[in-house]
Amino acid sequence: MNKLFPTQEVGSLAKPRWRIKSYRGKPLSREDINEAVHWGRKLGIENLEELVKLLSEGDSASRKRALLEWSAKYAIRIFETAGLDIVFDGEQWRSEMYEHVIRKTTGFKFLGYVKSFDYRYFNKAACIDKPKYAKSFYLDEFLFTKENTKKEIKMPFTGAYTLVDWTFDEYYEKKFSGEIMGFKRRKFEAKREFLFDLIKEVIRPEISKLIDAGAKWIQIDEPAATTNPTDEEMKLFVESFNETVKGFNCAFSLHNCYSNYEVLAKHACKLRNCSQLSLEFANRDGRQAGTGNERTGYKAIKLFEEHGFHENYGLGVVDVHTNFVEPPELVRDRILHVAKAISDPSRIYVSTDCGLRTRTWETSFRKLKNMVLGAELARKALE
Amino acid sequence: MISCYVTGASPRSNELIKKTRAYERGKISKKELEESFEKATETVIKAQISAGLDYVADGMLRWQDMLRPFTENLKGITVGSLRRWFNNNTFYRKPIIKDYVKREKDVVINMTHLEKLPKNLPWKAILPAPYTFVSLSENQYYRDKAEFIFKFAEVINEEIKGLAEAGFSYIQLSDPALVYEQSKPKSMKDKSALVNDALEIAVKGTTTETCLQTFFGDFSKILPEALDFPVDHLGIDLYETDFEKLKEYSFEKGVALGLVDSRSSLVEEPDELVTVAKEIIKSIYQSNMGEVFICPNCDLDFLPWEKAEEKMKVLSSATKRLREELS
Repeated sequence: MNKLFPTQEVGSLAKPRWRIKSYRGKPLSREDINEAVHWGRKLGIENLEELVKLLSEGDSASRKRALLEWSAKYAIRIFETAGLDIVFDGEQWRSEMYEHVIRKTTGFKFLGYVKSFDYRYFNKAACIDKPKYAKSFYLDEFLFTKENTKKEIKMPFTGAYTLVDWTFDEYYEKKFSGEIMGFKRRKFEAKREFLFDLIKEVIRPEISKLIDAGAKWIQIDEPAATTNPTDEEMKLFVESFNETVKGFNCAFSLHNCYSNYEVLAKHACKLRNCSQLSLEFANRDGRQAGTGNERTGYKAIKLFEEHGFHENYGLGVVDVHTNFVEPPELVRDRILHVAKAISDPSRIYVSTDCGLRTRTWETSFRKLKNMVLGAELARKALE
Repeated sequence: MISCYVTGASPRSNELIKKTRAYERGKISKKELEESFEKATETVIKAQISAGLDYVADGMLRWQDMLRPFTENLKGITVGSLRRWFNNNTFYRKPIIKDYVKREKDVVINMTHLEKLPKNLPWKAILPAPYTFVSLSENQYYRDKAEFIFKFAEVINEEIKGLAEAGFSYIQLSDPALVYEQSKPKSMKDKSALVNDALEIAVKGTTTETCLQTFFGDFSKILPEALDFPVDHLGIDLYETDFEKLKEYSFEKGVALGLVDSRSSLVEEPDELVTVAKEIIKSIYQSNMGEVFICPNCDLDFLPWEKAEEKMKVLSSATKRLREELS
C-alpha cells in the first residue's frame, strides 16, 4: 500500500441481535428491528425496507442466507464508514472461529462442553477419522465481501495449529498406540500427523479456492501459537504456517494475541511468506499519550526486531477488551513511538488488538473512527 | 500394595454446566445453583465408588481453578486477571499478594461436602503445593519468593491438620509449576532445595499420607532431589515424562503413576497401561516395591464428564489387573 500507516481491523465484529435471533428462528422485538433501521440509516444502507420485510418473514433456508448477507453488508459498511483502508465482513457468516471450520469438515465429532474458565466453557471436538474437505467454509463469505466493497480485503482464516490445539486427537493417538512406546513422543507424533493432514486435506484446498476467486491477502489466525512454548512445539507451529502458505500466489499474514511474545519473537523470523505480524499491544499499554521510551505495551516490538523479523507489523493500537475509546492523540503516539523504535514507519499497519466481537457496534465504531483519525495525525506528524 | 484414585477436579456434567450458565445470566438463584452443585457432587462421588477407586475425593466441582479457594479466602490476597493455565486452552485468575497472608478460616473444608463422602472408604483431599501457588502469583508484598513460599507452606500445614481432623487420610499437593518450567540444572537444584524446605513446613506434625503430584512436565527433571522430599509419595505425569530417564533411578518412596491421560478423549486400553506400569515398577523398585497408585496424569476436568467416567473405570480395571499380576 502506497499510503503510510494504512488502517485495518483483525476480523470479528459483534453480531446484531436481529441477525442472531432471526437466524435461530426466534421472533424479534420492536427494539431489535429499530436497531436494524437505526444502523441502516446511519450507514446509508440501501433498500432498508427489504431487510425490514425479511425480518418479519418466517424461517427458511433462503432467509437464513439473506440474513448472513445483510449483516455482512452492515459490518463491511461499518468498517468503510469508519474510514478503514483494509476491510472484511466482521466474520458475520461464522458462528465462531473454531466451530465454523470444524462443523464443515468431516473426521470430527463434537464431544460437548469443557471448561475454559469460571462459568465459561467451549464446545470441543475430537478428531475421530482422517480430516477430509467436505464443503467450502469461507468461499461464499469471501465472494460476498468482494462484491460489496471496493476496499482492499484481508481475509481472516483460522490456522491449522490452533484448530489442532483446540481439538482432542483420538484418531492419530490411536493410530500410533503400540507403534511408539513413550507416551510423550507418541502424542507429539500424533499431533504432527494430524496437523499436516489437516493442512493438506482441508486448509490448503480452501486457500486454493479463495485465491482462484480473487483473494489477495489471507490472514492466518493462530491464537494458540504459543500455547506450548517449547522449542519443539514452536518449530512445529512455524512449520505448519510455512506448509499452509507454501507456493501460493497470495499475501499472507499472521495474527496472534494475548500470548507470550518472548517465545513468538524467537521464531517469527522463520515464518516464510508472512508479510505482516498482526499483534495485540494496546491491552498491555498505558493510556497516557506520549511517544517517549515509556510505552510499556510496545516493549515486545524490540524482541521481534532483535530476533530479525523484518516484515510489517499489524500494530494493535486499540484495546478490544475495554469500552474506553482511545483518543486520536493516544493512537497517534502509539504509532509514532513504534515508528521511532523500528526506524521504518512504512512497516506499520494500524490495527485493532484483535477482533471487536465483544464490543457493541456503537463502541467499535467510535474506536475505529478514532483509530483512523489517530493514523492521520501520525501521518501529519511525519510529513 | 497397588491402589487407584483421581488427582484433581472432576468435569462438571452438562446438566451442571447449564445451571452455572443460567446462574450467570441471572436466570436461577444462588440457592438453586448450590443445590445443583450438591447433586452433582453426589454423582461424582458415586461414580468413583462404583468404578472401584480405593480413595474418594469430593470432585472439587466448585473450584473455579486450582488456586481460587485460596486466592479468594486468604486475607492479603486479591483475585487478579485471567492467565493461561500452563499449556492448556483454559485460564485461571492470578492471585495478587497485597499484604501479609493470613488464614482466618478453613479454606478447603468450606468447599467440601464432607457429609456426602462415604464412611467405608478413605478420603483424599487435593491442594495446591506451595511452589506452584507462589510461582503463579504476583507478589507485591513479600521480600522474595522464599519468604512467601514459607508463609504459604504454613497455610497449607494448617489446612492439612484441619482436613485430617475432619477425616481425610490422604493429602495430595499439586505441583505442576515445579516440572513445567524450563530451568537449567543448576537452578533446578536451588529450586528443589526451596521446595524441600517448603514441604517440610507444609507437612510438619501431620499424620495423613501425603503425595506431591507433579504434572504438565517431565518428572525426571527434579530427580534425584525429589527422592528426598518430605512426602510419602511422588506423582508423575507419564504423558510428559521421559520413561527412560525415570527408569535410571531407584525409588524407596511410593509413586502415583499418571497413566490415564486427562487431556485426551481417547479412552486407554487397560492392557497397555498394565504393560507400561509393570515396566516402570520393575525398573524403579529393584528390591522392595513401594506403594503404587494408578491415577490420571492431572485433573480430569479437561474432559467432558462422560469421558472422565469412562477413564475412572479404566483406572480401576488396570489397577485390578496389576494387583493380580504383581502379587
